[in-house]
Amino acid sequence: MKTKINRRQMLKGLGTVGIGLPLIEEMIAGNALGAAKMAVPVRAFNVFFGLGIPAPLQAEGFADVFEPLQSLSKKLLIMRNVDHVRCDVRGINAHFDGATGSFTAQPAGGEAKAGGPSIDQVVRHAHHPKGLPAGMVPALVGGTFFRRSRVGRYHHSYNLDGTVAARMQEKPRDLFDRVFGTFANANDADARAQRLKRSVLDSVVDQYRFYTGPNSPLGAASKSRVKDHLDRIREFEQRAFAMKHQKGSPALPPRSRVPHGGPADPGGEGIDITLEELTTEWRLLADLYALAIEMDRARFGAITFLAAGERIRLTGDYKFNGRSRYTFDDSKMHRRGGSAGCSHEWWHKFSEKKKNEQLRAHAHLKMNELAYLLKRLDSTKESNGRSILENSMITISTESGDGRHNDVKRELSGIFHAITGANGRFKTGQIMDVKAEGIDVYNTMLGAMGAKTRLGPAKRRGKSIDGIRV
Amino acid sequence: MRLAFFMGCVGVMFSATAERVASGLVVFYDFGSAQGAVVRDRSDVKPAIDLKIAAPQNVQRTKGSLKIHKGTVIRSTQPPARLIGAVKRSGEITIEAWLQPANVSQDGPARIVTLSKDTSERNFTLGQEKNLFDARLRTSRSSNNGIPSTATPARSLAARLTHIVFTRDRAGRTTIFLDGKRRANQTIAGNFANWNNDYTLALGNELSNERPWLGTFHLVAIYDRSLSAAEVTQNFKAGPQGKVDRAALAKAENIELFETKIAPLLAKHCLECHDPATRKGKLDLTQKVTAFADGETIVPGKSSASLIWEVVSENEMPKKRTSLSTAEKAALKQWIDGGAQWSLARIDPAVYVHGEPSHANWIRRLTVAEYIATVRASTGVNIAAEARQLLPPDVRADGFSNTAYNLNVGLKHINAYTQLAGIIAKQMDAQKFAARFSRSRNVTDKVMRPLVEAMGKWLLRGPLNDREIVVYRGITTTVVANGGGFDEAVRLVIEAMLQSPRFIYRIENQQTEGPVGGYELASRLSYLVWGAPPDAALYAAAEKGELANAAKLEEHVQRMLKDSRAVDRSVQFVSEWLNLNHLANLRPDKTRFPNWTPALAVDMRAETIAFFKEVVWKQNRPLGDLLNAQVTFLTPALARHYQMPKIKSGNGPTRYDLAGIPARGGLLTHGSVLTVGGDGASMVTRGLFVMHDLLRGVVNDPPPCVDTTPVPTKLGLTQRAIAAQRIANKQCGGCHSKFEPLAFGLEKYDGLGAFFEKDPHGNPLREDGQILFPGAAQSIAYKTSAELMNQLAASNRVRLSITWKLAQFAVGRPLGARDARTIDKIHLAAQKQGGTYHALITAIAMSDLTRTTQTEHSK
Repeated sequence: MKTKINRRQMLKGLGTVGIGLPLIEEMIAGNALGAAKMAVPVRAFNVFFGLGIPAPLQAEGFADVFEPLQSLSKKLLIMRNVDHVRCDVRGINAHFDGATGSFTAQPAGGEAKAGGPSIDQVVRHAHHPKGLPAGMVPALVGGTFFRRSRVGRYHHSYNLDGTVAARMQEKPRDLFDRVFGTFANANDADARAQRLKRSVLDSVVDQYRFYTGPNSPLGAASKSRVKDHLDRIREFEQRAFAMKHQKGSPALPPRSRVPHGGPADPGGEGIDITLEELTTEWRLLADLYALAIEMDRARFGAITFLAAGERIRLTGDYKFNGRSRYTFDDSKMHRRGGSAGCSHEWWHKFSEKKKNEQLRAHAHLKMNELAYLLKRLDSTKESNGRSILENSMITISTESGDGRHNDVKRELSGIFHAITGANGRFKTGQIMDVKAEGIDVYNTMLGAMGAKTRLGPAKRRGKSIDGIRV
Repeated sequence: MRLAFFMGCVGVMFSATAERVASGLVVFYDFGSAQGAVVRDRSDVKPAIDLKIAAPQNVQRTKGSLKIHKGTVIRSTQPPARLIGAVKRSGEITIEAWLQPANVSQDGPARIVTLSKDTSERNFTLGQEKNLFDARLRTSRSSNNGIPSTATPARSLAARLTHIVFTRDRAGRTTIFLDGKRRANQTIAGNFANWNNDYTLALGNELSNERPWLGTFHLVAIYDRSLSAAEVTQNFKAGPQGKVDRAALAKAENIELFETKIAPLLAKHCLECHDPATRKGKLDLTQKVTAFADGETIVPGKSSASLIWEVVSENEMPKKRTSLSTAEKAALKQWIDGGAQWSLARIDPAVYVHGEPSHANWIRRLTVAEYIATVRASTGVNIAAEARQLLPPDVRADGFSNTAYNLNVGLKHINAYTQLAGIIAKQMDAQKFAARFSRSRNVTDKVMRPLVEAMGKWLLRGPLNDREIVVYRGITTTVVANGGGFDEAVRLVIEAMLQSPRFIYRIENQQTEGPVGGYELASRLSYLVWGAPPDAALYAAAEKGELANAAKLEEHVQRMLKDSRAVDRSVQFVSEWLNLNHLANLRPDKTRFPNWTPALAVDMRAETIAFFKEVVWKQNRPLGDLLNAQVTFLTPALARHYQMPKIKSGNGPTRYDLAGIPARGGLLTHGSVLTVGGDGASMVTRGLFVMHDLLRGVVNDPPPCVDTTPVPTKLGLTQRAIAAQRIANKQCGGCHSKFEPLAFGLEKYDGLGAFFEKDPHGNPLREDGQILFPGAAQSIAYKTSAELMNQLAASNRVRLSITWKLAQFAVGRPLGARDARTIDKIHLAAQKQGGTYHALITAIAMSDLTRTTQTEHSK
C-alpha cells in the first residue's frame, strides 16, 4: 500500500515559501491519477548542470567537489570516463554541442533541435505509446538558468524527432501553473454558456484530429506537431472543464527575484547574482518539480540548474554543513567585469597543476544544489519501500569534461554522469570507471528500462555496458 | 526473326538496343522468365513487387512474353506499399505496356493492369473496352471507381502488338499514347491523397476475377512520374524488349552521390587546407578544374590509382583532424570507382556546414507578429497588446524566431488562443462582419451554410470542404438549440475558426510534390511579402487560377510590395537577421561604461531600422549598400555617445548625412551591430560575426592544446596586437587569419560602438586590415574602416549571404545543400534586377521555394 502523502511533509521542503496546493486533496482522495495506484510508475528525468566537472576532479571521489553527494552515494551510480566525442559539432565549442548531446548522445540537429530523442522521452514512448493518463504533464521541463543564446544550452528533453519535448518553464510560478494550474473558464460560467463553450471546443478538437488522421494532407513532422497541439488542447480541456478548482487556492509561489527571458542574458555578458538569490530561485523550482513528481503529475522531463556555458558573476558566502566553504566574488577575483568576470572563466582557466579553488567551490555548490533536489525525491517512500529517487531513472549530467575549449576529445570526454537505481535496475553505490561512449551507456540504460528504441544511427553496432546493470 | 515480326505488326521502327527511360521507374515486368508461377519485378527497386499467377495452366510463357489464353489473375501477394506510396507522394503516374489483345470484343473494361479491390473500387485500372483502351484513376475529385475515365477513340485498339502509355501529371492532365502517338487527353483534377493503401496490383483480371483480359504481355512498367512525350517516344523506340539505360542511371547516381555525400565530405574534412586561399600541397579541392588538374589526385573509375583515396584510406589525411569514418571512406571509394562525376561549379563549405537539414516538412505556426497581423487583416481587430501579453514569445533558433521546427505549442498557447478568440469575437462587429457574406440574418440551413462557407473561406484562407462546414454548422445548431440567435451563432463560429489549425497554422498539402495550389500560393506570397494573410485581390486571383501564370504572379508581388505591410515585414527580417532584440537586454559593465543608459539601446535599434528603411524603401538601393550608405539616423543622445557633432532634438532619430564623417556609414558602424562583440569589443566575436553573418564563411574548432582564454589588453598591447599574435601562431593562424582581420577595421569602436583613436591604456588604435572573401585565393587590403565597408558593399559574397538569410526567413527553415541551386537562381535573378530588396523578394516569390512543394520524400 502506498504511503499516504503527508501534506505537511510535502511542504517541508519548501522552506519559508508558502505554496497553495489546490489539487492535492482532490488528487489523493479522488484517486484520479496515478499517485494513489499500487504499482510504482516508470519515471525518467534528466538533470542538467552547466559547465561540468573536469575529469581530473572526478577522480577525487567524495573528497571534494562530490562531497555533497556523499550522503546519497548508495543511491547513485557515478560514472567516470563517459565520452560524447561523437556529439562534436564543427566550429562550435562544447557548451552547445556537449549540452545538446547530454541525454541524447548525438550531435545537435539545429540550435533548438537535438540529433535525436533524449533518454527520458524514449522511455516515455516505450511505456506510454498512446500518451500519459489524462491530467498528467507529458513532459515537464524546467530550469534555473540565465544564458540562452541557443536553446540547446538549457533544454534537455527532446522528442523522438529531436525537437523540444515541451516548453521550458523557468519561473517557479510558470512551472506551478503548468503542473497544478486550472483555467478560470467554463466552470465559472452558467450551464448554457458551458454547453456553447464545449461546442466550440469540440469543433476545434475535431479540426485538429482531422489533421492528424489518415486523410490529413500533412507530412509526418507536421502531423506530429498538430498532434502535440491536440494533446495540449485535451489537457486544456481537462483543466478547464474536468478539474475542480478548490476555493481559497491556489496561492501562487512568490515572484522570482532573478531576471528571466532576454534580461537574464544581457548581451551574452553575464549577470550579477548573489548566492542567496540563485539558491532561493533554484530551490523553489526544485521543490515544485519534486512535488510534481511526488503527486504523480509528471513522470518524464528534464530540469536544469544553470545553462551550458553559464555566465554569472556570483557573490556571497557559501556554507556547507554549517561550515564556511567559500566566499564567492567572481568579478573581483577575475579583476574584470562583463563576461570576463564570470565564473565561467574559472573553467577556461582550469589546470591540473593548479589548485582551481574557485572552480572547485562553484562545482561543489552545484553538487550541493543538485543534492537538494535529489534529497527531496528521496524523502518520499513508495509502495515498494523505496524512495521516488530510488525508483526513478534520474540521469544527472553536464556538457563538458574539461572547460578548456582547446581539445574536442578532452572537452567531450570524461563527462560527469550519475544515475539512480531505477527500481533496482542499475548498480548504485559506487563510482565506476565505465570507459565507454555515452551512446552505449544510454542505450544500455534504455534496454534496462524496457525500451526498444536505440539512440544513434540504425546501422551502428552498439556495445552493451553491462557493468552498470544489476 | 521476332523483332522483324514486331516491326511488321507495328509498322514503326524501333531498336532492340535502344535504352528505356529509367528515372522514376517503380515496377518493371519484362516477362523474362519462360517458366514458373511468378512474374518478377525487375525494376531493381526494393522491395520487389513480384506477381503470382493464380492459374499457371491458363498462361503460356516464353522468354519475354506471357500469353493469357484462359481467364486468370496475376497479382501481388500483398498491397504494393512502395508503389502506392511513391505515386501518392509524387502526385503523378505513368502506366506503360507492350501487349497484344487477343480480340476486340472483350470488355468490362477487361483488366490489363489494375490496382484495385473489386469491380467498383480502385486506385487505377488500365483496361480494354472492346476496340478502345480505357484508363480509370482515383483522385480526390473522381469517384472511388476512377470515373470519369480517359479513353482512346473507338477503333483505336486492334488485336496486334501495341505500345500503350497512360500518363497523369500533377496538374491533372491525363494522356494516352498509342505507339508513341497522343491519342487521348483529359483532365482529372484532384490529388491522390484518397488512394487506398490496401489494394492489390494485378494483371489480366480484376481481383474479384470478374473482368478477365486475354492476350499477350511483353512488358509492363509503372513510373511515379508523368513521362514526357519525348520519353514515351524513347520507350516506344526501345521496343518491347527495351532495357533500362544502366549507364545513364549509374552516372545520375554518381552525381547524386557527389552532391549529397562527397561535396559535404570534402567541405568537412578537406577544404580547411585545400581551398583556394590555403592550397596546401598546391591542391585546391573546391573546383573540378583544380581538383583534377594533376591527373593523380582523383582518377575517375580507379580509386586504387587516386592519391586522395590512398591518403584518406591510410588515415594520413586529414592531418591532425579526425579521420574519415568507415562510411565516409566507402562513399569516397564508391564515388571515384563510379566515375567521379563533379557537377558543382564550386564547393561552398557554408552550404554543408550544419550537415544536410532534415527533410522533415514542418508545418508553420503563425509567429506572434504574424498572428497579430492575420487577426488585424481578417477581422479588423487590433489584438497586439493582448496577444503579446498572453502568447509566449517565439524562441530564436538558427538565427530566426520563425524557424518552423521550433514553433511548438505549450499549454499557455492553447489558453491564449482560446482567450484571444473570445476577445476578438467580442471586439468584432459580428453583425457587420456577417453582412459582408450574407444579407439574411436567418438561422436556417439555407442561410447559415453558405454564410459559414463564405466566412470560413475568408478567415481560414481558402475554401472549406463539406466536413468543415458540417463541423461549424454544429456550433450554430447548438446555439439555436440553446435559445441563441444569429449574432451569437456567428460570434461562436468565428471563435472556433480563430482557434482552428487552418487559422493558427499555415496548412498546406504536403503529400504531393510539385506546383503549389492557388490558395496555398496566395498565402505563401502574402506571408512572404507582408507577414499577413492574402487580401481580396489575391484570393480572387487564386480562385481564377491566375497565380499559376508567372506574369500574373509577378504583378501581384509588385502590387504587394507597394503596401506598407511589406515595409513592416522587411523590418521584421532585419531585426531578426541582426538580432536587434539583444539590445533591449544590454547591461554593460557600469564601471567601464558609467554613462550607459537603456535609452541608448532603444536609439541604436531605431537607428538601424530607420537606416534600413531609408536605404531599402526610400532610396530603393541594392542591399549591398546597407554596408556603406553614408547616412544614418540619430537621436542627440546617440550622436553624443558616438562622439559626433551635436544635433537638435526632434521626434525620434533624425536623418544624419555622413558624407563628412568617414568613420561612420553602414550597418557595421551602428551601435546595434558593434555591441555583438560584448563589453570588451572582442575581435574574435566581431570577426566571426562578419564571417558568419555577412560572408557565410566557415571555420573549424580550435586545434588541440591551444589556450583559448581571452588575453587582456594593456599598455603596449592592443586588441589588434593580440590578434596579430594569434594569427602568427602556427596552430591558430590558419583560421584566425581568415576572420580576425575582418574586425581590424572595427578596432576604433569600443564595445558599445563609441569611436576612439586610443584605447583605455592610451594605445593608438588602427583601422587597416585585409579581407579574405570565402572561396577567394587572395586577401584584399584596406586602409580604413570606410574602405572595408566599401569592399563588403561591393562583394557578391555579401549579397549572396543576404540572399541566403532572406530566403531562410522566407521559408522558415535552415537551408542546405538541396536548396543551393534554387538559391543561386534566386540570387542571379535578383542581381539582374538591381539586387534590391524588391528584386530579391520578387525572385524568391517567383522561385521554386515559393511555387513548389517538396514532400518529406523529395530528393
